[in-house]
Amino acid sequence: MKDPRVERLAALIAGYSLGLREGQVVRIDALDVAAPLALELYRAALRAGAHPYTSIGVPALLETLLADGSDEQLTYVSPLRWEEIERLDALATIWSEVNTRSLSRVDPERHAAYIAAQRKLSNRRWERISSGEMTWCGTLFPTNAHAQEAEMSLEEYEDFVFAACHVHEPDAEGHWRGVSSALEARASELGAVRELRVVGPDTDLRVGVEGRSWLAADGRFNMPDGEVFTTPVETETEGVIRYTFPALYHGREVEDVRLRFEEGRVVDAEAARGDDYLQSLLAMDAGARVLGEVAFGLNYEIDRFTRNILFDEKIGGTMHFALGSGFQQTGGKNTSGLHWDMICDLRDEGEVYADGELVWKDGRFLAEPVPAVAESGVGG
Amino acid sequence: MADARVERLAGVLVDYSTGVREGDLVCIDTAPAAKPLVEAVWRRVLAAGGHPHLRIELDGAAEILLAEASDAQLDWVSPLREAEIERADVRIAVEADANTRGHTGVDPARQARHARAREPLRRRYFERANAGELRSVVTLFPTDAAAQDADRSLAEYEDFVYHAGLLDHEDPVAEWRALEERYRRLAAALGERREIRVVGEGTDLTLGVGGRTWIPCAGRENFPDGELFTGPVETEVEGVVRFTYPASFAGRRVSGVELEFRGGEAVRAAAEQGEAFLREMLAMDDGARHAGEFSFGLNDAVTEFTGHTLFDEKIGGTVHLALGASYPESGGTVQSALHWDLVCDLRSGSEVYADGELVYRDGRFVDGLS
Repeated sequence: MKDPRVERLAALIAGYSLGLREGQVVRIDALDVAAPLALELYRAALRAGAHPYTSIGVPALLETLLADGSDEQLTYVSPLRWEEIERLDALATIWSEVNTRSLSRVDPERHAAYIAAQRKLSNRRWERISSGEMTWCGTLFPTNAHAQEAEMSLEEYEDFVFAACHVHEPDAEGHWRGVSSALEARASELGAVRELRVVGPDTDLRVGVEGRSWLAADGRFNMPDGEVFTTPVETETEGVIRYTFPALYHGREVEDVRLRFEEGRVVDAEAARGDDYLQSLLAMDAGARVLGEVAFGLNYEIDRFTRNILFDEKIGGTMHFALGSGFQQTGGKNTSGLHWDMICDLRDEGEVYADGELVWKDGRFLAEPVPAVAESGVGG
Repeated sequence: MADARVERLAGVLVDYSTGVREGDLVCIDTAPAAKPLVEAVWRRVLAAGGHPHLRIELDGAAEILLAEASDAQLDWVSPLREAEIERADVRIAVEADANTRGHTGVDPARQARHARAREPLRRRYFERANAGELRSVVTLFPTDAAAQDADRSLAEYEDFVYHAGLLDHEDPVAEWRALEERYRRLAAALGERREIRVVGEGTDLTLGVGGRTWIPCAGRENFPDGELFTGPVETEVEGVVRFTYPASFAGRRVSGVELEFRGGEAVRAAAEQGEAFLREMLAMDDGARHAGEFSFGLNDAVTEFTGHTLFDEKIGGTVHLALGASYPESGGTVQSALHWDLVCDLRSGSEVYADGELVYRDGRFVDGLS
């Protein structure tokens, strides 16, 4: 029997996230395990009058390329991929790993060379997405591998994922439109703030955000979604922070990260586990020691850490502070090869002050009566 | 354990069939079920210095398109498919169906419309192939669906498929090279003849072949392979032919097909099963009523009908005739969105004459011809 949640998710992505229209060329990226969602999305795209096609990956091929490819093959970017990026009107990425750790043992230098070559392509894609020439949405289809990473059964994980996307109930699109207005209102309010001070266990951090714009992540680029974010002023971060959740980068975990900032830069860093990796990432380039993002996670249907950034950074009641590259569209200037989201749980003990005024306590904004949409899950 | 035959198949496809060279852009075009072969082909292409480009579409998407798409969507041809056909140096197409009958419920008129829209792609593909700009091979990776069609278990079907490809030999490429030599000699011998007459049970068909070229097929464009074909003179096909085996096209099966040709055109068509579909296909376009191809099946490792054209048309001791498009390299000029191979078993009680001389009896060329 078909899972109605899969159909709703497909309709939500085709209609709300990608806004598919007649005549648009749409690629659906997935692995074959995600066929139920990919096919429903294909159908939804057809109904919108678009021209969809599926592009199904085989994970072992990248592993083979990294192991056996010549340097030239490793950094080759096919002219067909270039042509495709120019022609697409919409792209849906369905993450659906069958093994989340299959690249754990590849040569990191060769992997980095591969990623650097592909970045030209992804930069061009982002350019077209940012200018509105194409739309993109990344989502996830629950597999055993993702469930295993989250330490859940597949069935529990399905419930978790579909609730996070709010497709466990009819009218998911109505829900997300509500979320969108609530997040927009919050973002616009935060736009007037000059400095945020975050206080929590072993954490007292001041982040300058004056003149920066806050953006609402409301389910267009990611599904699920639910955060507001900006890029802090590069020279004004001061104080200490202790990250509650393990910080993951390219599948490797660093636990109990503590950072001390002076004049915007990390001057002290330690981790209980994975300290070497932490230090090597901080040394990547000049921008790696500077915050590129500060964000509030506001999707209260995501209530636990599952080792997947698509969900973790949106956990309702958390904040994340990413080291590395910032977002130009918020006014951010920091550039780096790194963008490492690290998440701080503020649900039990945590306070945030905006220009000295307490605005957030124990995982919730205090001000504003909670808008109607927030009752069904997302605070704003 | 990895099946050594899959590795050998990958080796034949990359090194022999398409001869991948350094810098070649190699499109691998298939379905999810072919994963083990895709991985092996990918390794081989990398080893040969090529750049593999994967294109896998989901099973089931085509059915949704055919069932639900608007006419405009059915008629649409992806510019990316055009780009692939324009730019690829090599194409390795691997059929690997999860369900061979998924199209059964589809309206044949919509299927024909979709096929017509893609005809220019197909034409451009053959154009580049004939100009030697694109080397291309089509093969099959055994799946349960194909095994089921052949009334076999998957393990039995794998044996059948790999045996047909001579992949149980240590060096299958050497085997195929030897066959290629033999087929070339036969092609030279037939190339001088003007007329072929096929006589068998329910069949007496005469085809003009004067001035046409016989093409030996030994695993370059199809794999497995084993046939010798030409394009009959378009106005010179006369008589009746009864096809022994059911024939599938676009996921549908028609059986007991009998055709009568006059002046090169099929003027009468009957089938025990699927006659309406047969007529629909014959009406697809002007070329669909012509015999674009006539061919001898020469692969003696394929002895049984399995319901799949790639194998059935190669059965040693059969001939087949294709309704629709001819292959230009044979000199044939039929253009059509259709190319439907129908197979006739000649292994008992049959004869073939070339310009009146008996050249083939009961499935074998007479001595002196090969």
